[in-house]
Amino acid sequence: MKKYSAIFLFIYAINFHVQSQTNDHSFLNKTEFKIGYYGNLLWDNGLNLGAEYLWKEKKNIKDKKKGPKTIVHQFLFNGSLGYSTNFANQTDNGLHTYYGLIWRRTNPKRRQLHVELNPLGYYRSFLPETFEVKGDDVSKVKFPGRSYYAPSIAVGIGRLRKEKRRSGWYLNFNCAFRTPYNAGVLANFSIQYGHRFNFKKKK
Amino acid sequence: MQKITLSKSTIIAIILLSLGVFSCSKENININNLNETIFVRHKNADMPAYIRGNASEKVFLITLHGGPGDIGLSFSGKAFNRIENQYGVVYFDQRGSGNSQGHYSEDNVSIDLMAEDVLALVKVIKHKFGSDSRFFLLGHSWGGTLGTATLLKDQSDFKGWIGLDGAYSPARLYNQYIETFTSTANMQIALGNSVDFWESVLELVSQVDPVINFDDDRKLNIKAFKAEKTLHEDGFIDFDDDGTEGISTFFTYNLLTRAWNTNQIGTIIDNQGLFQTLDFTSQLPEITIPSLFISGQYDMIVPTASAQTAFEFIGSTSKELLIFDRSGHAPLFSEPDRFATEVLQFMGEHK
Repeated sequence: MKKYSAIFLFIYAINFHVQSQTNDHSFLNKTEFKIGYYGNLLWDNGLNLGAEYLWKEKKNIKDKKKGPKTIVHQFLFNGSLGYSTNFANQTDNGLHTYYGLIWRRTNPKRRQLHVELNPLGYYRSFLPETFEVKGDDVSKVKFPGRSYYAPSIAVGIGRLRKEKRRSGWYLNFNCAFRTPYNAGVLANFSIQYGHRFNFKKKK
Repeated sequence: MQKITLSKSTIIAIILLSLGVFSCSKENININNLNETIFVRHKNADMPAYIRGNASEKVFLITLHGGPGDIGLSFSGKAFNRIENQYGVVYFDQRGSGNSQGHYSEDNVSIDLMAEDVLALVKVIKHKFGSDSRFFLLGHSWGGTLGTATLLKDQSDFKGWIGLDGAYSPARLYNQYIETFTSTANMQIALGNSVDFWESVLELVSQVDPVINFDDDRKLNIKAFKAEKTLHEDGFIDFDDDGTEGISTFFTYNLLTRAWNTNQIGTIIDNQGLFQTLDFTSQLPEITIPSLFISGQYDMIVPTASAQTAFEFIGSTSKELLIFDRSGHAPLFSEPDRFATEVLQFMGEHK
């Protein structure tokens, strides 16, 4: 399995490198990266890194008295990785990563509205010193924590900065579901505020 | 091709940030002034224990919160600060409560399992601080039910039991509500206090089925909270708190997570009908360790009759019942000095 993964990554890297050199539809030219705050301000606070890869784009141009009005609809593949912690206790540290699709609408004033659906999500909690009890035996747990399937949805707003390295900001309201959590599901609400940037070729 | 380059300072900043985030562990323990958070993993649950205070004598007071579904640190405040000065105090988020997490089935949740969790906590404390550690158990409200279940399972590790407004036999609460509501309402009406409210209490009492049932039990429980608030407003209870908050715990528990967990574990226990069926009274003579029962005179949520019955039936030769006359369901907040004094005296006598 490791051998196939290495070959896949190697081919992917070559492909990525060649594409980047040869055309405007390269990975870098279709990808926006993002970095921002992730948390709920009061309890959990952290950092989020991600990337959005443009999959489909449609421009609706309407003729208005003041000139043509262009509304852009985009579908983007979304991937994200973040870490958050509660500084007031040692019980709420966790890493999350999720993947899905974003629908985004950008109006002529470059204001954006987007909806994210991330069906592939994973949350890993990191616990402090943990002891496992089995019968009368007590043992210290190595790398204590738990893994949860954590799909998420988000709605957000933003602003596009055209043809800039720092290409805009976003503010998302995110709801992730950690499951199975205790005897059910835990809904976790958070805010994501950050900036997008890119490494696109300047035209 | 665009070159992606990061400056040295950026790389160093990222490394330092990562180390800062991932290296938040403490190894040095000051036994005289503990402030440790550990987790107990038992039967698919990870439950935090917040260990605070002075454990120089290796005497620990393990606290069981109410609910089900409240928070371990709900006890924190003036009274427990005093107790922490003298002994180690273990605040424990029970299975499904507070910051507890895990993977388990709803069908596996039972008071029996939760009592085993408490005994698992004792084993962990012994493992960490030494097998010569000594323990007292304190249960508030639902914690009184859980504490009783724990002691009936195994009381050998405990030097003493402190019941604080505990529901030692939840199935008896229904009749205790009816009796307490009637007597309190009549007294308050006679005094001319909040007459409309107390008349509504009497009306509710007249409407509920004399035979215990879930719906009426819930109505009486909700009314009990309102009754305590009214008694506070009319000057009978010194502190407006139902004993579920704790002081300065807001930032320790994510309010949404906590509420979600409270609802979930509360619903599971409710659906099992524990509050309608569980009665430990006939088994209380099996508990023989020194016991102290504390109850607020105006406790409407778990009426004083619960403590009186437990005091009467418990098998301990050394037992005491204290009624705090300016308190409702939370004597630790309404009369913190007296509460701390009585608990410290009890622990001092029996440690």
